[in-house]
Amino acid sequence: MLRAGLYIMWCSARNRMRRRIQRLREPRYLTGAAAGVAYLYFAIFSRARSRRPAGSAGRGGVGATPTTLLSLLGPSAPALASLLLLLVAAASWIFPIGSGLLNFSRAEKQFLFPAPVSRRWLVAYRLLRAQLAVLISASVLALFYRGGGAGGQLRSALGIWMFLMTCHLYFAGVTLARRRPSVAGTASRWIGRIPFLFTIGAMGSVAAAVGRMVAARPVTDFRDAWDTLGGIAQTGLPQVFLWPFTAVLQPFLAATSAAWIQALPAAALVLLAAAAWVLRTGDVLDTGLDSAPELQPARGAARRPLQYRSRPSAWVLGSAGRAETAFVWKGAMQTFRVVDWRLMLRGTGIVVWLVVASLAVNRARGFSEILGVLAVFAMGFTVAMGPQILRADLRQDLEHLELLKTWPVRAASVVRGELIWPTMVVTIVAWACGIVALTFSAAVFNSTGRPWRMAVGTAAMILTPALVLAQYTIHNAAALMFPAWIHLGAGRARGVDAIGQRLILLGGTWLTLVVLLLPGTIVGGAIALALYRLAGPWVCLPGALCCAAIIGIELVVATEALGPLYERLDVTSVERAE
Amino acid sequence: MSIALQRLRCVFGSFVAVDDLSLDVGQGEIVGLIGPNGAGKTTTLRMLAGILRPTSGRVSVAGYDMAQAPLDAKRALAFMPDEPHLFEYLTVEEHLRLMARLYTVPDFERRARVLLDELELGGKERSLPSELSRGMRQKVVIACGLVRDAAALLFDEPLTGLDPIGISRMRETIARRARAGAAILVSSHLLHLVQEMCTRVVIMDRGRKIADGTVEQIASRSDIALSGSNLEQVFLHVTGHGPTNAGHD
Repeated sequence: MLRAGLYIMWCSARNRMRRRIQRLREPRYLTGAAAGVAYLYFAIFSRARSRRPAGSAGRGGVGATPTTLLSLLGPSAPALASLLLLLVAAASWIFPIGSGLLNFSRAEKQFLFPAPVSRRWLVAYRLLRAQLAVLISASVLALFYRGGGAGGQLRSALGIWMFLMTCHLYFAGVTLARRRPSVAGTASRWIGRIPFLFTIGAMGSVAAAVGRMVAARPVTDFRDAWDTLGGIAQTGLPQVFLWPFTAVLQPFLAATSAAWIQALPAAALVLLAAAAWVLRTGDVLDTGLDSAPELQPARGAARRPLQYRSRPSAWVLGSAGRAETAFVWKGAMQTFRVVDWRLMLRGTGIVVWLVVASLAVNRARGFSEILGVLAVFAMGFTVAMGPQILRADLRQDLEHLELLKTWPVRAASVVRGELIWPTMVVTIVAWACGIVALTFSAAVFNSTGRPWRMAVGTAAMILTPALVLAQYTIHNAAALMFPAWIHLGAGRARGVDAIGQRLILLGGTWLTLVVLLLPGTIVGGAIALALYRLAGPWVCLPGALCCAAIIGIELVVATEALGPLYERLDVTSVERAE
Repeated sequence: MSIALQRLRCVFGSFVAVDDLSLDVGQGEIVGLIGPNGAGKTTTLRMLAGILRPTSGRVSVAGYDMAQAPLDAKRALAFMPDEPHLFEYLTVEEHLRLMARLYTVPDFERRARVLLDELELGGKERSLPSELSRGMRQKVVIACGLVRDAAALLFDEPLTGLDPIGISRMRETIARRARAGAAILVSSHLLHLVQEMCTRVVIMDRGRKIADGTVEQIASRSDIALSGSNLEQVFLHVTGHGPTNAGHD
């Protein structure tokens, strides 16, 4: 049976490689591959080669060992890293994290599930299949973080591989175990629950220790909390419970060969225990529960598509009116019906990261200041990255191009209709952040007068929809001009050429944005300069209004110009993700 | 003619998918488009629906040229593809509502109610496509096409995934639309159903039309001479897979 699994892996890898090489005959893939190779060379390999020895590694960045990086955060950092791992492990029981290990493709489900092989074999096969991808990830990460020559890089790569594999196994095990209780016998039910009980115990012991510590001595500031938590993680019962989490981190953090060899047995033990647990719980697949969302394969790709939930809507589309409104309504339905815990978790993660970052930057100079800084960051992030993240436009709807093409709607109206809803969503989010930023602006920009703060803030809000719409127009223009470079649905193209294509698109997008904004910026700036003596800080408003109006006119013209591109767009040129 | 194709040709690279195809479907006519896999049937329907641009030739729907007046041509047309691609986030009713908006259907509520009952989709109005079976999804696609009075209806494998009751009802639905004056072009591999449903049959092979007429007319052609045969026998013979051709293969 192992040979059958290896045969599938070998054939898949060979055919995938063959297809990628064959498609290099097309200029678009060749260009992408050239850009991708150049990026990989300059971003990773050339930097790795020119790196200083490990002993002379500077502060952070390439050439620093993970230990060096952690030491910058203080002596408690390794223990806190274990604590963070525990938190993630505990959270995964409530919000399962898709490890990808159990993402059986449709073909695998169709051919392997009815095959006379055990479900444990299927899980083992998926574990085996995941090795190459995890090893590649580990090797690339090792190039970034580790100095000290080839031996050091190999040690680091193996350490990262063990860490990543253990994480993958754990998350896969959680997914299986969460579905196990209702279907398995008593004995195996308890086996499936062991890690859960262990995690509960660990969380309980840490919580109890934190409670005792806080009751004895209140925490004064962030640094104090950081050190206190570090101390808790390194003593008593929490230390015992955190041992598996510390063990998997040790080979990754080991600075010397001796330390690495010393750390290896414990990490290997944890890895093996996780593998045994996943294999033991693998028979849950026998029950047909492979339809669980976490086990669902994506449409031809490794990712799972978004899940929608049927909900009544207050907005009922009328049977007459502009076509653009129908597209806005369609976009609104999509947004309101999407239920994706991963998206929410990621959003929470970003917010937490921003809070921590603002705390670190501001050293706790007050809640209002933190909130203000956070809001400013969030607004900037939303405006700059929102159009890249929220792709509820033609980039997603190219998947339905065959249907859209049959509709009796002007091409320019289709393009405009697709842009309006995502622009509204991103603008509203950015405005909400902007209002918070304006509210707390006195704490953040305390050396700037109120009129200036209000004027600049309002001007930023005026410019927001124009900036967002401009980016959406450019992204959608790219989708219409280079449909083969836009990958549909939740899938993501792989390969060096795909990396290059993404880089070219990103560079082109930013360059086009600058060109698009230039006329408005020049005219708006000129107006602001001319009226400054008359209006003072409030001159920002006519400047921003004028700039936004010019961008708006440009975008109307641009969407009209995109109409013929849409009409000429060939459905066969739209590429489905691998 | 409600549907007219003139010397249609479609080329992908060096592959000729459809070659010199001319075809007319009049009001009230149900024409079956049949052929082996890769014959060019779906490509023909996609060119007719305005999804693919023909390399050369002319497509006209209800008198509107698809190249010159695409919006008018599309408004007069309903295309029901074989793969039920639906918006995963819109319910059954919302799909119909969206179509009603795009095609400006005034009495949508009444039409939708009748259509949902006719296609046995009653009670599924608020279901998302992911909650429906393949056959149900196919019915939603068909309902989206029938929610308006299109002059020309294109069905690509309309019976795939339907249960026997669904197939029977679909045949009735198609026949009713034809009686109401619609020009209907049906592509299907279910030859016995095509024979029962269609007033005329067009057989394609390797991108070209190789036969056009009633089953009797094709069967009585001098080069075929299979009078009294059914469509399956005629089809096998015309496409070179019949008993008399087997020896040559």
